[in-house]
Amino acid sequence: MGKAVRAGVRRLGKGNGTAVPGAVALAIDPGTLAGLAAEIPRGAVLVTGSNGKGTTCRMLAEIMRAAGLHPILNREGSNQLSGIATTLVARSGLSGHLPTDGQAIGLFEVDEGSVPQILKQIARPSVLVFGNVFRDQLDRYMEPAYLTSLLEREMRNLPVDTTLVLNADDPRVAYLAPELENPRLYFGIQDVECGRDGIDPTSDFPRCQRCGGELAYRCVFYAHLGHWTCGGCGLARPVPHVQLTKLDLLGSGSSRIQVATPTAEMVLEIPVPGLYNTYNAAAALAAATACQLSDHAFSAIERVTPSSFRMERVDVSGHDVYLTLAKNANGYTEVLRALLGDRQPKQMMLGLNDCAGKQPDTSWIWDIDFDALCGLIPAPVISGNRAYDLAVRLKYAGWLGTTEATALTTEPDPVRAFQLALARTPGGEPLWVVSTSIVLQQVRRWLRQQGYVRKVWQEQDQRGGADLWPS
Amino acid sequence: MRIKLGCLYPDIMSTYGDRGNVMTILRRCEWRGITAEVRELRLGDRVEPGELDLIVMGSGGESQQRLIASDLSRIKGPGIREAVAQGAAALAVGGGYELFGRFCRPGEGAELPGAGLFDAWTMGYRAILDDHYDTLTEANAERAIGDLVVRWGDRLLVGFENHSGGTYLGPTAKPLGQVVSGYGNNGDGSEGVLLGNAVGTHLRGPCLPRNPALADFLIGAALNRRYGDAELPALPDETEHTARELAMQRVTHARLRSRRSHARGALRRPAIRVKARRRHRSAAGAQSRGRR
Repeated sequence: MGKAVRAGVRRLGKGNGTAVPGAVALAIDPGTLAGLAAEIPRGAVLVTGSNGKGTTCRMLAEIMRAAGLHPILNREGSNQLSGIATTLVARSGLSGHLPTDGQAIGLFEVDEGSVPQILKQIARPSVLVFGNVFRDQLDRYMEPAYLTSLLEREMRNLPVDTTLVLNADDPRVAYLAPELENPRLYFGIQDVECGRDGIDPTSDFPRCQRCGGELAYRCVFYAHLGHWTCGGCGLARPVPHVQLTKLDLLGSGSSRIQVATPTAEMVLEIPVPGLYNTYNAAAALAAATACQLSDHAFSAIERVTPSSFRMERVDVSGHDVYLTLAKNANGYTEVLRALLGDRQPKQMMLGLNDCAGKQPDTSWIWDIDFDALCGLIPAPVISGNRAYDLAVRLKYAGWLGTTEATALTTEPDPVRAFQLALARTPGGEPLWVVSTSIVLQQVRRWLRQQGYVRKVWQEQDQRGGADLWPS
Repeated sequence: MRIKLGCLYPDIMSTYGDRGNVMTILRRCEWRGITAEVRELRLGDRVEPGELDLIVMGSGGESQQRLIASDLSRIKGPGIREAVAQGAAALAVGGGYELFGRFCRPGEGAELPGAGLFDAWTMGYRAILDDHYDTLTEANAERAIGDLVVRWGDRLLVGFENHSGGTYLGPTAKPLGQVVSGYGNNGDGSEGVLLGNAVGTHLRGPCLPRNPALADFLIGAALNRRYGDAELPALPDETEHTARELAMQRVTHARLRSRRSHARGALRRPAIRVKARRRHRSAAGAQSRGRR
């Protein structure tokens, strides 16, 4: 049934059909997801958090495959109830059951706002990974403190043997639902050389969740992630079980990480850039540890390919074009820091759109740290339906107005803006497109029409192969 | 010329890009050659009424409100009231605006005391229903979320609102303006409060870069307090005005769209009626409370 719907949606050319079949199946039988999830022999791993859950899942999937498991992974971004249901419906046979496969394990990226709903369906996950909480789409998720309190309420129904894999460096995540006796496995960064001095002004949790006291940081990695202690009650960052002991951020392409797990030490090169991706790697390695996978499989993380729009590289008439999603303040800031960390000026197109009237709040752009990057993007092209709001933001960050050094161009139409940005990029040099999703989708659609890239789901089908859509 | 700016709880009350309001004041002063000095006032710090020309407080959720309420009411409140009485300008947004009133009753937990500057009070819907939400969808359904356009004198202010419950004005409070589109204070058509040069508003966005006229009103008032009179030279605000124009267009389009989907809305009418009744009761309850 679900398969027919998916085929139909694709035939109509209305997208990839990654959520509709599940929605249809759930409408017919609300117990579909709960029933199918219970059939997975090795249980389910749920990965959530504000940023990086998709990349964490892809990394963990590589490790699972190397360990001989067959992960059932939902598609990127299809991370709400219907998307996860679609994944399982597509895998089930005509009998309405999953094929017998003793090595199958569920690996689901879960939208942080949907965790309460998903936990009602997948009630007994073996592992719950919680990477971080940042403010994100306040008009949908509300304040992060409120979001986490909703999650905690639902987590009380978890079975006691669900392992919680938590970020020790995030003071809100580390002691999530502190009254629960579930095993906790922490990951975190030990390499203080990579830290900065002060807390980012965008920190959502500057205060202790237990006593409200002010948090003191020995070192901040970004936002409110770092080595923290509470000045009031003494609550402190737990010692992580999976530690990144040394980080080498190798520019805008990759990073080398030294990892210590409870049983092994290793050096891994992850082919995705930036400090935030080293956290994703740590989360994946910690989850793999929680799943008791062999250390030998951990190096498979080096094979991870960037998700679509996560520094996705496209060759466009001699230029390397990187499409990079940045959908909230911390994401945008960290992407720009990863790209401009070498302080070398670069050609970029920056985009901002709202969700077609549904989520008009763009106040978060005022929390992006543009101010420190003034001058590093000498001729930015600004695009998207909220391009002028971003232009105002950049004006007040000192990017235009008083200095003539910045030749800022505002072009709301993403395709025209992209062509303009490309024409401005000197021969052979790369162009980075950093934006919220709709601008990227429109640029990507144009690139597809021009024959530079294929449809996202076609690529995923090929890349994910039999794991995703067994034929 | 110089002004002194007091930022209340910059580490706690800055959830909706509220740094943007402070940046806007600083830049617009800088572009005019006015020196603006910032004093950050955190938990425990007092407000010295003679010191500050302009007081700014951003927005925050219920957990942030709970952290600061007693400090704001006991330690800073008297200084803030005195400063505004002496002509200082002020801006309080969202959760900050709610706490500049007499009290605020959030959805969960105890009633929070306010700074007592405005004759106003805020009630969360959940506080009246004595209930909590299980999912975000449920929680969002009872919030006023969306673009907000307000008539302020002969100008329009554009912003974004996201709040639960209603803010009710007492007999001595004057609204900042009238709602053109959106929800505003409590659905009665009023939005915000204006007391002397102190502005309280649900307009986020942040509101000052989107409404340079409001920023200049505050800067002008701050200069007036210090120097008696002050003429603010105009600034080239083309980028800001284009962003504003586009925001107005979005609001107009959204209203046309919602009118078109009116028939579909009729299907949901029973639910809306229930909610309206609850709101009505909450408003009455809040008013009787406030008068007590």
